[in-house]
Amino acid sequence: MKILVTVKRVPDPDMKVRVNAEGTGIVEDNMKFVINPFDEIAVEEGLRIKEKKGEGEVVIVAIGPSVVQEQIRAALAMGADRGIHVDVDSYPDPLNTAKLLKAVAEKEAPNIVIMGKQAVDDDYGQAGQMLAAMLGWAQATFAYKVEIADDNSKATVTREVDGGLETIEIDLPAVVTADLRLNEPRYASLPGIMKAKTKPMDVFKPADLGVELSPVLELVRMEEPPPRKGGIIVETVDELLDKLRNEAKVI
Amino acid sequence: MFELQEGHRMIETAMRQFLEKEVVPLIDDLEEGKVLPYDIMRKMAETFGLTEMIKARFQKMLKKEGKKSEEEESEAGAFGGPGFDPLIGTIIGKEIARVYPSLGLAMGATLGLAGGTIMAKGTPAQKERWGLPILTFEKIGAWGMTEPESGSDAFALKTTAKPDGDYYILNGQKTFCTNAPYADIFVIYAKIDRGQEAKRDKRFIFPFVVERGTPGLSVSEPFKKMGMKGSPTGAVYLDDVRVHKSHLLGETEESARDQAKDVFAGERTGAPAMAWGIIERCLEVTVKYATERKQWDRPIGEFQLIQEKIARMYVHLENVRNIAFKHAWAQKEGKKITMKEACAAKLYCARAATECALEAIQALGGYGYMKEYRVEMLMRDAKLLQIGGGTDEIQILNIAKELLRAEGLEVKLGG
Repeated sequence: MKILVTVKRVPDPDMKVRVNAEGTGIVEDNMKFVINPFDEIAVEEGLRIKEKKGEGEVVIVAIGPSVVQEQIRAALAMGADRGIHVDVDSYPDPLNTAKLLKAVAEKEAPNIVIMGKQAVDDDYGQAGQMLAAMLGWAQATFAYKVEIADDNSKATVTREVDGGLETIEIDLPAVVTADLRLNEPRYASLPGIMKAKTKPMDVFKPADLGVELSPVLELVRMEEPPPRKGGIIVETVDELLDKLRNEAKVI
Repeated sequence: MFELQEGHRMIETAMRQFLEKEVVPLIDDLEEGKVLPYDIMRKMAETFGLTEMIKARFQKMLKKEGKKSEEEESEAGAFGGPGFDPLIGTIIGKEIARVYPSLGLAMGATLGLAGGTIMAKGTPAQKERWGLPILTFEKIGAWGMTEPESGSDAFALKTTAKPDGDYYILNGQKTFCTNAPYADIFVIYAKIDRGQEAKRDKRFIFPFVVERGTPGLSVSEPFKKMGMKGSPTGAVYLDDVRVHKSHLLGETEESARDQAKDVFAGERTGAPAMAWGIIERCLEVTVKYATERKQWDRPIGEFQLIQEKIARMYVHLENVRNIAFKHAWAQKEGKKITMKEACAAKLYCARAATECALEAIQALGGYGYMKEYRVEMLMRDAKLLQIGGGTDEIQILNIAKELLRAEGLEVKLGG
């Protein structure tokens, strides 16, 4: 069983993010970066599948500048077997991400690709679906539970849908995206961390994978949400109506 | 050398997540003694693979007593240099102290003091019998040195071990002993009582291992303390406790005996890591509060008196970090830290931790005085660093003594 798991480097969601003065991105000084939390769940699921099967390989792939190797090693420290770093200067848009991942998936020929359902930095939530479509594979998004058939031919995936759960069966190979409640990721153990640096990591440029990046999306501007103002207590219904009509202009 | 490597940061991150999730919700219960710290240590050891790592190393070590295996070196080398990496322990200690110093103290006492003494002094059989269960947290250790009438003057201790054939009979009392109320294995320091010859042995004290349940051994209830409340402290009573000579660490009196300077070294080593954690946390809380709390429509961070506190705390943080890095470096390189260096480091770290915690409370005002932000707890906990493992005053005397001795003036403590 070969399991390909994608990880993205994102700012620590527990830290305060500030937009830079030019509005072109965030201030990265003193920022801590982590594996996208949904991707961490994907790594955990990959490891659990391998452990349950008693055999297999968990391969981590990340796209971005050389610093993303830190996130690959963090996944290796959790127990994954080897890493693939697709070396590009900046983080591509979802379509180009999917193109690069398609090339990696074709090269690696995994039984399953597991991804986070979205990255918490840009919140697109598109790459998994696009990848499955490009590969012509089945997809099961927002996974809540994943079970692999004994012969690795099928997977039964329970998905989180509006107001309930939906269980589907898909043929493998397939792309599965992890939702929040799929599992609770393990902590990297000390021996795991020590071994992480000695595990193999391949580095490819897009050209090595036969991919030419063609951006389809341009970041025009980033801005911070307006600061929250404190609430007020109105005296009468008339005053409320007046404020809604004339200040908030919502009615 | 003066920065954390990637592997260190991974440990830091993993430890922080674990502690936030597993310890923070329990702090109130731990403070009130409703929950003991030992199961948390066990869970931590299990979660981070410490138990399997320690067991594997232990087996290797027993096979090649005294020699470092090459495999061990290459494994630890993943952290940016060859050989064992003492900074790992510092980071773990620092992360614990950020959240709950009591846990670090209780852990340090079992692992570092009791376990460390057995591993340093014990024969291979003693290490296997008592050291390994402590290192894997299967058993909890306590280290008994201080007595009701001897603290700083540790060698005035009155506990005696009287030879009786293949046995020793221990009598005496220990106090302020971390983990004593619940420990399974006690390392007890005593003088050998030979009647007439007693004078000769005065300079030396000897560590004995006594197991819980040995007739004549009893412990007190946990003491009520100012801080470090989650770390149970108590007294140990030895009333004609008869132990076989195989309980004398090292088994011969020649190899077991300890001199003053050996004894407190272990107690001091935890101070930089603990101070680092306390200061880092206090600074973080203060900076955050200073940007959020407003008076006269301005964040209080705009007031220079608050800025002064922040800057001072940062200076302490830098110094304490550098001390911790230096100690880790020295340990890794096998360089010796002199008595005055170790005392200066402990003195500085302890004072800095208390000062920063007090400043954090002051910066937070009424909120700092409440339990919510935990800075009042960190202040009560930090204060112990100025007392345990040698008081500030003893560190000062030791520093001066060593400096003066270099110029030929021999100062005797206590006249």
